[in-house]
Amino acid sequence: MSVAVMSAKPTAKPTPEFRAGGTDFSERRRSGVSQGMLIDISATGDKTITWDADGAARIGALTTIATIATDARIAAAYPGLAASAQGLATPQVRQVATLGGNLAQRSRCWYFRRADIDCLKKSGSTCPARSGNHLYGVAFDLGPCVAPHPSTMAAALLAYDASITTDRRSGLTIAGLLGDGSISHADHTLAAGEMIKSIALPAPLEGERASYKRAISRTYAEWPLVELCARVVIAGGKFELVRLAAGGVAPVPLRLTAVEAQLSGKIANAASIAEAAKAASSGAKPLPMTAYKLDLLQGLVRDVLERLSD
Amino acid sequence: MTTTTINGRPLALPDDPDALLIDVIRDGGLTGTKLVCGSGVCGACTVLLDGTPVVSCLLPAQAAAGKSLTTIEGVGAAGLHPVQKAFMAHDALQCGFCTPGFVVEAAAFHDSWRATRGAATPSREEIAAALSGHLCRCGAYEGIYRAVAEACSGRFDGIDPTAPRLEARDKVTGLARYTVDIHHDGQLEGVILRAHVAHARITGLDLAPARAIAGVAAVVPLLDDDNMVRFVGAPIAAVAAKDRRTALQAIAAISFKPEPLPAVIGLDAARRDDAPVVFEKKDRKRAGNVSEGAGGAPVSWKGNVRGPSAPFSQKAKRARSWLDEARQQRNPLLVEETFRVSTQQHASLEPHAAVARFDGDQLTVDISTQAIHESMEKIAKRYGLPHDKVRVIADHVGGGFGSKGSVGLETIAAIELARAAKAPVRVAFDREEELSVTGYRPAAELKLSLLPSAEGRLKALSLTAHADTGAAVNSLIAGLARLIYPAEAKELVDFDVLSNLPPGAPFRGPGGPPMSFALEQAVDEAALRMKVDPIQLRKLWDPDPNRQRLYDWAAGLDVWKNRKPAASQTGRYRRGVGVATGYWLYLWQTGSSVELAIKGGRIVASCAVQDIGTGTRSVIANTVAKAFDLEPQDVEVRIGRSNLPPGPGSGGSRVTASVVPPTLLAIDKLKAEIKRTASRTPAPGSNAPWREMIAASPDIAVSARRQEDGRPPPGVRPALHEAGIMGRVFGWVLRLMTHMVVGAGVPSSVQVMEVEVDTWLGHVRVLNAYTGLAVGKLAAPTLARSQAAGAVIQGIGYALYETRETDPSSGHILSGSMEDYRIPGIADMPKLDVHFDEAGFEHVPGGSVGIGEVATVPTSPAIANAIRDAIGVRLTEIPFRPDRLVAALKGRDAA
Repeated sequence: MSVAVMSAKPTAKPTPEFRAGGTDFSERRRSGVSQGMLIDISATGDKTITWDADGAARIGALTTIATIATDARIAAAYPGLAASAQGLATPQVRQVATLGGNLAQRSRCWYFRRADIDCLKKSGSTCPARSGNHLYGVAFDLGPCVAPHPSTMAAALLAYDASITTDRRSGLTIAGLLGDGSISHADHTLAAGEMIKSIALPAPLEGERASYKRAISRTYAEWPLVELCARVVIAGGKFELVRLAAGGVAPVPLRLTAVEAQLSGKIANAASIAEAAKAASSGAKPLPMTAYKLDLLQGLVRDVLERLSD
Repeated sequence: MTTTTINGRPLALPDDPDALLIDVIRDGGLTGTKLVCGSGVCGACTVLLDGTPVVSCLLPAQAAAGKSLTTIEGVGAAGLHPVQKAFMAHDALQCGFCTPGFVVEAAAFHDSWRATRGAATPSREEIAAALSGHLCRCGAYEGIYRAVAEACSGRFDGIDPTAPRLEARDKVTGLARYTVDIHHDGQLEGVILRAHVAHARITGLDLAPARAIAGVAAVVPLLDDDNMVRFVGAPIAAVAAKDRRTALQAIAAISFKPEPLPAVIGLDAARRDDAPVVFEKKDRKRAGNVSEGAGGAPVSWKGNVRGPSAPFSQKAKRARSWLDEARQQRNPLLVEETFRVSTQQHASLEPHAAVARFDGDQLTVDISTQAIHESMEKIAKRYGLPHDKVRVIADHVGGGFGSKGSVGLETIAAIELARAAKAPVRVAFDREEELSVTGYRPAAELKLSLLPSAEGRLKALSLTAHADTGAAVNSLIAGLARLIYPAEAKELVDFDVLSNLPPGAPFRGPGGPPMSFALEQAVDEAALRMKVDPIQLRKLWDPDPNRQRLYDWAAGLDVWKNRKPAASQTGRYRRGVGVATGYWLYLWQTGSSVELAIKGGRIVASCAVQDIGTGTRSVIANTVAKAFDLEPQDVEVRIGRSNLPPGPGSGGSRVTASVVPPTLLAIDKLKAEIKRTASRTPAPGSNAPWREMIAASPDIAVSARRQEDGRPPPGVRPALHEAGIMGRVFGWVLRLMTHMVVGAGVPSSVQVMEVEVDTWLGHVRVLNAYTGLAVGKLAAPTLARSQAAGAVIQGIGYALYETRETDPSSGHILSGSMEDYRIPGIADMPKLDVHFDEAGFEHVPGGSVGIGEVATVPTSPAIANAIRDAIGVRLTEIPFRPDRLVAALKGRDAA
């Protein structure tokens, strides 16, 4: 709609934004949500994947999602990362969107995305979704803003204990990059002008397997209601390691540590998984409209872990 | 300055870092690439960047620097690509607006598939994954699956395809020009200033600051004379400027003072006693209209609730007392339930758009419209112009589904801006406007009570509908339950509930799908309680001859005969089968005329009708070709111009039944005229006597108007006769006011759906869809099948995904993008079996009636009944989203 007029008020001194693939940026630009200066980094950013002798990867921030989704070595070493990349957005968007851009993308909240509505992420003082329509909001209510974090890759990287290097900081965990869920004015902890440069993953563990799935209403191309990236090591029929990182449920991707703890050392079968999956809601605080996400989360834990225990 | 290569030619790229690739491509005259969602989700703007499909609506133009671009115009430049041929042959398109994007992507998929897999045939799943970044609103997915599979298998290598759709070649090559593609010299871009509050009086409107901006050619006010805005997005003024960016700056410069008034949003809030009133008594005539026909009789109106409107009730008091009695006696057969349907947006991929131009006193308006002839009449009346001074053009229309049936704001704004600016002006809505202020099928609450008699007949039915019509009136949902399942007594009451939301509009079978959603679930529930087969119960309760035959077809389907007993399943995935029935009125438009001429040895058929993807050109061409032993491609069909002989609007499924009969009359006249004027007869034994005579004929022309139907056989009546005298009155009013006639015989559909429910993730998948249709003889069989498939997939969207989301206090539409308003994708398309029963309309010249609306009516209840069959729980509110499924399975209320 007529963007210029719909703007409630011009944002005070908008900070410059980096543009990588532009898939999130261009949409916000067209709608008028982004109005500041843009700095295009697509030509200069790092698009390479390098491998250590021990098998650990370092992924340049400008590597496209399609590359991560189709790179044979990534798929072998980090199948949960590859599967997450394959599951997000559309084939055309994956060709252009970058890993760094995926981590730094802005919220999908309906209210945030409208130029004519103020919200906490746009210098407003309240969250209109909390009192309004938050059907796709969080089920773990950790901060003033009720929008789940949009980055599918962040959940995957959380499962893989990735470490992020920016032009100012190194050794950042996903929690370090995105915060604890209480930040409301932004979607990450990056300072103005701070740029993600690369993402490093530890070498894969012996015998580990991983998978990813999102719960959506259609078959493809939908923002996840809930998503889950899981890594497991199963030895002698028992879970030696379980790593579960969930997206769509909280302002930041969440490790499901209660489920992980419950399954550690347990027999990898449907019964133990079903029992442990109940702990997926541990610590949850659903909003009036989001209790369903906890059912979906439990279902996803069962779905993904059962497939990995086959 | 940087450059790119586009279809092999160099092109300079703008330095502006904000410039997007799609604008560079389209501004360069390559209009095959379409802008639809602007958010990378629909794929209509897909182009190849160094051979890789990308969405040009999000790609910075500078990203193409030094690279090679291929648009749809480049895909078939050296002869049609096998994918283009396959799309043509399999009718993998309807309105064609999404087609260029699909073709570009499918061609890239085909090329890489052939390079690595040879002539193997890709699976449905592989095709769906490859095309998951594309959306088609007409629902051409079935043809697309077939086309891509066969192109990959090599079947179209070197073949010159025959297309069942006359204009298919233009649509698969990107040459088809839609209203948004029109560009005149000196054309300006118009943008509308809209309200961002739900209810306010606008004072102090000052347009001068906008007029003062360089590049602005005209600014016009659009406020109604009461200066009120009654919904977010209500129009205030419009600007025409040299480009969109300047126009946006200009509307931002317009100043005004909104005096905010209390607003009320949605069905529940608006019904409260203390709710702010949307239309004061004096302003009621300003409300919009959600119905296809004219407004009905005067109806009482209290606060925001307009109604009760119950012209189709039958012994309402008796129905009430029988139902009360059954309630008191706790009659186990009494089915009582409250159903809720959601707001469905038309979501046409081509937005509402108009380009207006004055040449002296001649006004030419290209409009993306479903009614060129009627639009011409209305524009002439509104601006006091003679009919021959107004020309409306619509060569191709990118979908409408009911939302483009009247002269809309885009047209009014374009005309007024063009007049003020003395230059051509285009107004094309953006996606957010399209998904918020262009109308919708209203949500509704449907309270239903259904009582079978002790003998197993239908005794009483009560249905009360409250429709969430926004700033509009005239919803008819409950009343439609009169025209099916005769009962001893029926109480059918409709209410409009107005609130500060945009006005609803007609949408494919207005009122039909909601009515069917409630009634068909209730009949299903009655069958369960009576322990009878749901198809057999319908056979018993529904005497319509067309549907009787369709019930027999449905009962014979293996999927129906082999269905598992309900509640036998306990695993994660559960399957169920459901049935439902739908009907629509058989309508045709009086005065519809067709001219047939021979010009330069070729037959030319002309009619001021439009093709919104339904296949009107092909219907006319097929009819003419058949009579003269020609191929449809031999017939030139001229439509899309209002100065041709008057044709019907594309609404109410009336086009085929309006244009085929006069075409047949004109054929007879033309044959006589050819013979009369022939200088010699064809050589004896000629294989193609008509072809020869046409080629040798002088230029001649004949025309014919739609004749009355023949006498129908006993028992075949217009659907409205079911409603007694009130039905007949309704029919007369319709004919008088809108020139639409309700003919004898009832277009009908019986559908059987097989679903799979994932009880862990709340996901419903329609595995198999069987749709039986009685719409007479098929004037264009392949296209009729495409329409049937599209209607089913739109019904699946209604049942499973689609809903408009609003903010409950501000009235903002939150689902204004294609990411948030979710229409089905190709992977959501089930395997489809279409059965046409071609009997029942022999009294109609040509024997064909329309299909578009009836084919979507029963889809949502058939899915609901299938889910009930699968999980043993009846869901009463659509869409059946994961949140509702998991809540129902846990026995709790969804949010």
